[in-house]
Formats: sequence, structure tokens, C-alpha cells
Amino acid sequence: MVLFDVPGKLNMTGQIRFVLDGEVRELRGVAPTMTVLQWLRDDARRCGTKEGCAEGDCGACTVAIGERRGVDDMRYRAVNSCILFMPMLDGKELVTVESLKHEGRLHPVQRAMVECHGSQCGFCTPGFVMSLFTLYHSGKEPQRETVDDVLAGNLCRCTGYRPIIEAAQRMREYGAKDQFHRRAAATARQLAAIERRDTLALEKDGQRYFAPANLEEFTACFEQYPEAALVGGATDIGLWVTKRHQRPETQIYTGDIAELRRLKIGDDCIEIGGAASLGDVFDALLAEFADFGEILRRFGSVQVRNVATLGGNIANASPIGDIAPLLLALDAALLLRRNRETRLLPIDEFFLAYRKTALRNSEFIDAIRIPRARSGLKFRAYKISKRFDQDISAVCGAFALQLDGSRIAEIRMGFGGMAAVPKRAANAEAALIGEAWNEASARAAMRAIERDFEPMTDMRASAPYRLKLARNLLLKFFLETSNQPGATRVIRRDMAA
Amino acid sequence: MAPYIGTATSRVDGLAKVTGTAKYAAEYNAPGLAHASMVGATIAKGRITRIDTTAALRVDGVITVLTHENRPPLADNDQAYNDDVAPEGTPFRPLYDGRIIFNGQPIALVVANTLEAARFAASLVRADYLTEPHVTDIHTKRDRGLAVKDPITPLDALFAPPKQRGAPGPALDGADVRHDGEYYVPIEHHNPMEPFASTAVVESDGRLTIYDKTQGVQNVQRYLCSVLGLKQDDVRVISTFVGGAFGVGLRPQFQAVLAALAARALGRSVRVVLTRQQMYVLGYRPAMIQRIVVGANANGTLNAITHDAVTVTSQHENYYRQETGWSGLLYSCANAKYAHRLAKLDLPTACDMRGPSAATGVYALECAMDELAAALKIDPVELRLRCYSDRDQHDNRPYSSKALRECYHQGAEAFGWHTRNPEPRAMRDGSELVGWGMASGVWDAFQAAITVRIRLSANGHAEVACATSDIGTGTATVMTQVAADMLGLPLDSVSVLLGDSTLPASPVEGGSWIAASVSNGIAATADAIRKELLRLAALMPDSSLSGTEADDVGLVDGMLVSRRDNARAVSIADAMRHSAVDQIEREITTNPIEDAARAHNTHSAVFAEVKVDEQLGVIRVTRVVSAIAAGRIVNTKTATSQILGGVVWGIGMALHEETAIDHRFGRVMNANFAEYHVPVHADVHNIKVIFVDEADDSNPLGIKGVGEIGIVGVAAAIANAVHHATGKRVRDLPITLDKLLGKPS
Repeated sequence: MVLFDVPGKLNMTGQIRFVLDGEVRELRGVAPTMTVLQWLRDDARRCGTKEGCAEGDCGACTVAIGERRGVDDMRYRAVNSCILFMPMLDGKELVTVESLKHEGRLHPVQRAMVECHGSQCGFCTPGFVMSLFTLYHSGKEPQRETVDDVLAGNLCRCTGYRPIIEAAQRMREYGAKDQFHRRAAATARQLAAIERRDTLALEKDGQRYFAPANLEEFTACFEQYPEAALVGGATDIGLWVTKRHQRPETQIYTGDIAELRRLKIGDDCIEIGGAASLGDVFDALLAEFADFGEILRRFGSVQVRNVATLGGNIANASPIGDIAPLLLALDAALLLRRNRETRLLPIDEFFLAYRKTALRNSEFIDAIRIPRARSGLKFRAYKISKRFDQDISAVCGAFALQLDGSRIAEIRMGFGGMAAVPKRAANAEAALIGEAWNEASARAAMRAIERDFEPMTDMRASAPYRLKLARNLLLKFFLETSNQPGATRVIRRDMAA
Repeated sequence: MAPYIGTATSRVDGLAKVTGTAKYAAEYNAPGLAHASMVGATIAKGRITRIDTTAALRVDGVITVLTHENRPPLADNDQAYNDDVAPEGTPFRPLYDGRIIFNGQPIALVVANTLEAARFAASLVRADYLTEPHVTDIHTKRDRGLAVKDPITPLDALFAPPKQRGAPGPALDGADVRHDGEYYVPIEHHNPMEPFASTAVVESDGRLTIYDKTQGVQNVQRYLCSVLGLKQDDVRVISTFVGGAFGVGLRPQFQAVLAALAARALGRSVRVVLTRQQMYVLGYRPAMIQRIVVGANANGTLNAITHDAVTVTSQHENYYRQETGWSGLLYSCANAKYAHRLAKLDLPTACDMRGPSAATGVYALECAMDELAAALKIDPVELRLRCYSDRDQHDNRPYSSKALRECYHQGAEAFGWHTRNPEPRAMRDGSELVGWGMASGVWDAFQAAITVRIRLSANGHAEVACATSDIGTGTATVMTQVAADMLGLPLDSVSVLLGDSTLPASPVEGGSWIAASVSNGIAATADAIRKELLRLAALMPDSSLSGTEADDVGLVDGMLVSRRDNARAVSIADAMRHSAVDQIEREITTNPIEDAARAHNTHSAVFAEVKVDEQLGVIRVTRVVSAIAAGRIVNTKTATSQILGGVVWGIGMALHEETAIDHRFGRVMNANFAEYHVPVHADVHNIKVIFVDEADDSNPLGIKGVGEIGIVGVAAAIANAVHHATGKRVRDLPITLDKLLGKPS
């Protein structure tokens, strides 16, 4: 069997390189699906990092990934090591809880956790320490809301969280700079020295892994292996491995391809590369559509958003994914590519049936194009779930309205959790076009929604509840966009249209 | 005398935990360690007709696959599988035979050189079954429950419903106001953050050392010896750090048997780690259907209460606690009656989970009291004060101490309860409805026999040893504080050994009894050390302490000091050196003081504020005040954290937690953290913990324990607050938003 039958510059050293505790580590013979957690605990015998769930839900396995920011600075992001594959570390710095103590002294984050009694049984503690470490390095003020965001992906069953929140708010009292600040330039130089410009190709036990460094090599690779699993953040594929014990024969990693991680804010549209992480695009989408940011804030956890991609969430075609409803409402289009051929497809033509999309063989999502917010656009998105953070939606609804004087010129409503695919509410939209935007028309559209969907009952919500939610979300949208007084949000947001 | 007891001492193991150096059961290594992965049954009831391990055995690195067909010998009688906290019945026997009694039951163990190979190969094991019909839904069996038997032993009496008192029937008929309600709590799972794990190390002499996740190392050791037919000396169980357990580690769990079996079969060290999913086939809090009828006089005094419960257990064991008894205990009421039946389902056996029986039973009682208060138009706190009882209602005896009244007063004051508008839906914050609710809580103040060994060295260092676990509650820290005070030493001169079956005997750590038991055990052992020191001191020439009675001296700052005249003092080191003694060692067993004439309980008053989005029904618990009466608080930092944790458990119980079973397969559907919802940061807002002063002389240190009391009453306070906010009475937990829809009840 020819293992690597791919044109282009293949890096056949079979080696991955990353920085750990100030030293470049070079590993050979790593299985493409070996998780970072597994390597840490079994091979490196660094057992501080824990496995609590093996699917990115609990954060006990949180480590920090350091990446170069410019020539002489570093940035650190929290990730779940239980579903991160070892080859994805190539070219990065890995920081674990064992890395923090320095010259015999506790790191400020660790001191704060001890003093505030942020640890009881201690099992979740290393994960919390690492999430707080990334907050410490982010430079952000530890406001309560920020702390909630940063720690949303870390579960604790003992402390009741308050001592940990206090530790987050006080950690800088124990020192404003740490050894990572002091050696940032040196680390950045180390990373620059191991940066790869070719396609990493690994093989172990019949599993192949490619990490192309540019779009051209990626397309060549995907042409050659159309059955390959495209891996961005592995927040889904990681679970194939840890839960279903599958071993994808071929994986192509998209995280090193700068073109696919692009973010272009044009005059007409925002173009987001298919492999851009949710973390990469968060700020831009928040600035353009406040509610897009609000939904992203509740999308998974920081650890998940730091690696999960927008393209992955769409291509996955989950009926309960939270991105598609927003894109449906915003009239987004997908730029699909196969080698050099591209086509532009409105997103409401992308989802064909349950988990079935319009993607053809070797075709992938090159970019997502979201029209810029025109003046007068009223856009709102709502996620209803049992638990506010870190939960799968019962229903996600997004609404975009353009008025022409007092009449409705355009309205789009995208829903998740209401059908086998993310879907627009065609009847409700039709009921509103050309009408005045008032409570009577909103209520008529609410009735029409019942003809748009036949949701199912499952353990997240019953069918009648889902239908009721869909109707009431439309009412809420009306209330919020028609200068009705009063707050309509659990979390306050800027009410300006 | 007590520079450390009662202070906010930081935990002694904090440094190990924040640096990741604290080692848990799955982190011990041994030469040639093999990794094992468990395979679970995919049916709920029946028999394995064929088990095919050939594909698994073909995976590179797989060493063996153990099944019921090829396992080493296991004991063949029920008695051998009993343990310290086993309920009556026939305990489950892992890999014993082909019989399947619950879905997920271990049917094979794949042992390999790497964890990856073991887990992958485990997915290739195939079993064929002869299935039998199963029942896993409490509702289908609610009317066919097995009545809890009349108690025979004192232990039975602790768990069986109390005897009826008075004549509840006629009393209810004559009540001015009567409330009759049915309440439901679903199955919940403990979900400690650390997965269950055992590393069985084969020592060079062939003995086994099991690093286990458990709340009782000696319980596991005795169990493994009897199940595997080994001598006591052949097995040592160690559990230094436990990543949370909350009751599910009280009984020995099957991963310990599997690890030991495989290690015995291979003569090689083996580690078994359960996945998060597999932990849902360990124990659970039993689902509970309960009906409470309360009758009251118009003036707000109770005249009758009846409490009927149906709880879940397995077909093979009858697990129950005194779920209904709390109702007749808490308030002054002349007539009371209880009934408790068991719905025997094709599931694993239920087990203790934080505040077992009280978290669920008191939830129903305290919701019923709130409904009664509304019917009587009496403020909920006022109603509880009118029904206040200074005597244990079951046995008509006084309490050793009961400062619940102070809990009501201080809690209400801190919460601002007096400004509450009693009308439902009357309080608002913008478009959100605001609700205030409260509830009482109660738990037992147990103490158990325990043995403590102290070794005091002439260099001023003390080693305190006891086999108890520290499941994260702070036991090691409390032991250090108490020993330091009792021996007059600084904290860092005391080291603690625990979680090792070779140490002096301890009961399992649970029920909130360890803090009182081990602290008083340390005090008693320290007393013996002090007496020996005094004897040595009196031997010194011209000793200023000669002729002094033991009770008249204390240990302070490394000195033996007369309590009457602190000028009369002898240094510990001098006294020991004079007699050429390097070390004094005492090992003392301390039994609880017999005090059956009084009741021993902890109490709480919980106040909760919720805000409910009127259109969507989204609920937030924005404020909780928990006022606790629990005797002397040894460490305000660890105790506060116990209560905070308990309150957050109560939030989970009220709003989130529910194990969903697909009854077609008898299998848990939400066996993961994504869909079994435990509270997250954003769910937790302001929580204030108040410890009211409560002097208690049941034991020398006046300690009662705080591990359970924090959760009791919280779900009821929140449910009552939701009713106050919305006018809707949701009587089945969790209160999810869909249940809030519809017209006010």
C-alpha cells in the first residue's frame, strides 16, 4: 500500500515538534489519534491533567496552548486535551499544571486557589488552574461575567464555584507577571524555529494524518483522499475516537492553513474561512451582530470555541447546531470548493436531510459569507436550553428584519431544534412580508409557525414546548424590536437596534 | 486553648492539588502495568448465551479478555459479597456468571499493554443474549411496591419508617386546613469529577496493593479478601486522595474486583478506569414518589401528618433509608403515620447520595409546609416557628442542642425576608418575576467508633494516623488542626496519615460522621499522650509538675503547662529526653458517648430568591442564604465550602439534575456531562452561609458534622420561591422551563 500518494512538499520526518517547559520536544511514531491527555498521562507521566469525561464537557483535562503572537510575544488559549490529537500540537507550546510552579514558588493562580479554598477533592483543580492561567495571560479584567465565560467549561462538584470565582478575581494580587511573560520572546523564537511550511505527513498502524500548510496542498491532499476526515478542532471527531473507538483511516488537519482561517470584513460581506475557529471570529461577529456574539458566548465552552470551527459546525449538519439558524436568518452563503472549482450556495440550500448536506465528493467549505448589517437591520438570536451555559439547545431561533417605512420588506427566521435540519420558517415569513410590524401581524405569524414545524419530543424538550418556544421567541423578537419597554433577557445586553 | 479549631485554616493538601502532584487511584504506576477496559451488557435482564472475544484478542497489545467463562475463582456465597454498608439482599457479583440483572453490568474486562488498545478492543467484544422482560420505570410499579419490613435490628430501625403515633386519620378529618400533595424526585447520579478507578499492584511477594477510589479502604479490603478468598494480609487498599464521591464510594465498586481479578489472573499489575458513561451503572439516588398529607389548625399548629413513599431499588437488594421519618421529626405534631414501599426494578441498587433520604424526604415536607402556609395565609417562617419543636417528636426526648430558631431569625434577617410580599407574582424586577422561598433542613449528628494512633517524637513532631478517607471534604486538614491544638504544636509539626487499610480502624467516610468521630478520637488519643508526658515530667528531679493531676495540665507551645499556674511548666522535649524516650505512641479506640436520652441533629434554614423570565420560563437562583446550626465548626473555611457545595447541589436538584432512562432498553440516555446537567458557574450567584452559635456537649469537642446538611431543604426553598414568583406549583423535580408553562395553578 502506498501510504502517501500526494503531490507537493511532504514532510516525511514522521516527527512532531512542540515546546514544553522551555524545551523543544520531538516525538516520532505518534498515532494520529493519540490524544494529548493520553500522551501526558501515559507516556510523559504528567498525571496532573485529569480525564473527567473524555468528551470535552468537564474541563478537568484543560491545558494551555501557546502560540506565537508576532515576533516576540505569545498568546495562550485553553483547550480540552482529552479530544485534542497529538499531531495538532506541532509548532505550538504546551503548558500543563506541572509547568506553573517556578523556582519552588507557586504560580499566582495556584496561590489564589489555595488561599480562597478553590479546591476540595482536587480532581477538577488542575483544569481550573489552567483555565485561570489563560485568563491571567489574556490581560482581561476578571469581572464576574468574564470569569463565568472563561470557566464555563470547567465543572466542579464540590466547591459550589464561589471560592474559585474569588480566586479568579484575586489572582493578580499574588503577582502581575509570571515566568511565561518573562520568557515570551524566547518562546516565540523557539516556535518560529520549528514552524513548518510543508505538509506534515504521519502514518501509524494504518492511520494517516496530513497537516497541509496551504490551500493548494490541502486540495491536492483531499482530491487524493476524498474519504478523509477533515479535522479542524476535533471537538466532534475527537469523540469518534474516545467514545466510539473509531480510528479514521485518513485525517487532514485544516488548522495550519492560513487561507482557510481568513477573516475578511468587506464592504458587502464578512467572509470567514471554513477552518476559522469560533474564537478567531468571535470579536468580529460580536461587533457586527451583537446577538451573534451572545450565542457564540454560550456555544460550548471557551475550550471548545478555541478550536471548534464555524465550517465544522455547518458541515456537521446537526439539527441542533447553534450557528446554522443564525446564518439562515442572516441570508449567508457558503463558498464551496473542490480543487479549483468553486460555487456559491445559499445556506438554506445546503441542508438536505438529517445530517445530509449538498457537499460533493472532495468538496469542502472554503468560506462562509455573511452580508454586512445594513442600516435598519434588526437581528436577534435566542438560545433556549435547560442549563444556561454549556448546554445543547432545546430551540435556537434567529430573526432578521428589514422594514421599509412601517412595512416589512424582508424577514428571515432560522430555527434549530425544530426539524431534522436547521430550517427557515417559510410560512411565518410569508405571513409577514408586506405587513406592518405590529403585535397583530406578529401574532398571525406565530400561528403560521405551527404550519412550519412538527418538532419531536426528546429528553431536551417536548414537541409542544418546542412549538411554544418558537412562537414566543417570535413574540419576544417583536417586543424587542418595537420599542416595547422592559427587559426581555436573562443576561442584559445593549438594547439598541 | 484552641488556636486552630474554629479558624479558617487553608487546607493542608491545597498545594499538592493546585500543582497537580496529588495522586489519585488511576495515577499509581508499577513495573509492567497493564491497562484494562470494562465491557458492559447491552440488555437489562436475561442471560449471556455466547460471548465472542476473538476480535478483541486479535488487537495488537491485548493480553487477555476476562469473562465469566474464564475468570479466576470467586466466592460463591452472598455473605462473602456483603460489605459494611450493604443493604439486605443478594449483592451483585461482578463477572460471576452469565446472568444479566442491569444494563451496563460488566460482562468482560479487556486487559492490554496500553489503555488505547484496551478501550478499542473492548468495543469489539460481542455478546449474544437471551433477553427477559424488564421494568425500569418507577411509575409502572408504584402500586406494586414491596413494603419496607418491620425493623428487627437497631440498624433496621434507623432506616425503616418510624411507628405511627396518635390517630392521624381522625385528626386529619378534624383539621381546619388540610393539604394533600404528591411530589416526585427523579433518579440522580453523583457524578464526582474523578472517574472510578483501581490500580491493582502485584508486589514482589505476591500480595496485592489496590489503589482505589473509595470512601472506606478497610471496607474494600475486607470485601476483596472475602470475594477473592484471600487472607487479610494479602490485600492492602490505599486511597490517599479521592476526587469526590458523595456516597457512591461507600460500597466497594466493581472496578476494584475487576482490577484485583485481572492482577491475580495475570500475576501482573492492572489498572481499571471506568469511563464517565460506565459510572452511570454504579449507584444512584433513588427516584421517589411521595405523598404528604398535613392537617393544621387555623392558628398554624399541626395536628397530623402522613407521609407515603415509593422509592427505587434493584431486584436483588432492598436499599432504603428513613425517607419518610423526617416529616414526623421536625415539627410539633401529635399524630403521624408513615408508609414506605420499594419499587424493585431491573437496575443497579440505589445507594446513598449526599443527604440520603433527607434531601428527598425533606424536599416534599418543606414544599407541603409552604403550601400549607399559603392555605393558612401565614408567613412560611412564622408557620415553622408556630410548629417549632424542642423535643424529638419520634421518641419525645430533648435535643442535645437545636438552634434552628436562631437559623430562622438570622437567615431571615440576612435575606431581608420581612419585606416579602406574600402574594405570588407580586414581586418583579423588570420583566422578570421575583420569588422568595424558604425551607428548613435537618440531618443526623452521628458519631462512630474510631481508632486513632498518634506518635509524638521528642523533636516536637506528631504523626496522626487513621484509616479514614478524605473525599475532598477536608478531613486531613481538620485532623491536623485538632491534633495541633490538642498537642500544643504548630500546624506544620503535625502530619496526617489516612486512606490506608493498614492504619487504625475507621468506619467508611459518610453521613457527616467523620469530623466528629475522628476529632474526638484524636482528642482522646492526645489525652493519653499528655498523661504519659506528665508521668515522664514528674520523674524529672525537682519537677514543677510533680503531684499534678492529668486533668490539670495542658499542652501549649511544646510545653506541658499547669492550668492553675502557668508558671509551672515543663518542656515536652525535656521530659522525653530525661527518660530517654524518643517517641511516645498511643493508639486508642474512641466510642461515641452513650446518650440515647437525647436526640442529635443538625438543622438549617434556607432562603432562596429566584428570578423567572415570564415569557420563557427561564429560572435563575439569584440569592441563597443558608443558616446552619451544626455545633462547633472546626474549620470555617472548609465548612463554609461544604455548605456552598451543598447549596449548589440543591440548585442542581431543583433545576437541572435528572437521569433519563430509555425504558425500552432499561438504559440511561444521558450518561454524560453534556446531558446530565450539573450546575455550572453561571448558575451560581450570591450564596451566604451563616453558622449560628450552637453549643453541644454530646462529645468533648461539640462537633456535629456539615457534609450533608448543606443540601437538605435547598430544593424545597427554590421550588417554593418558584411558586412565589410564578404562582405555579411544580411538584416534580427538576423544575424545567417546560413545566412552568401554562396557567398558574
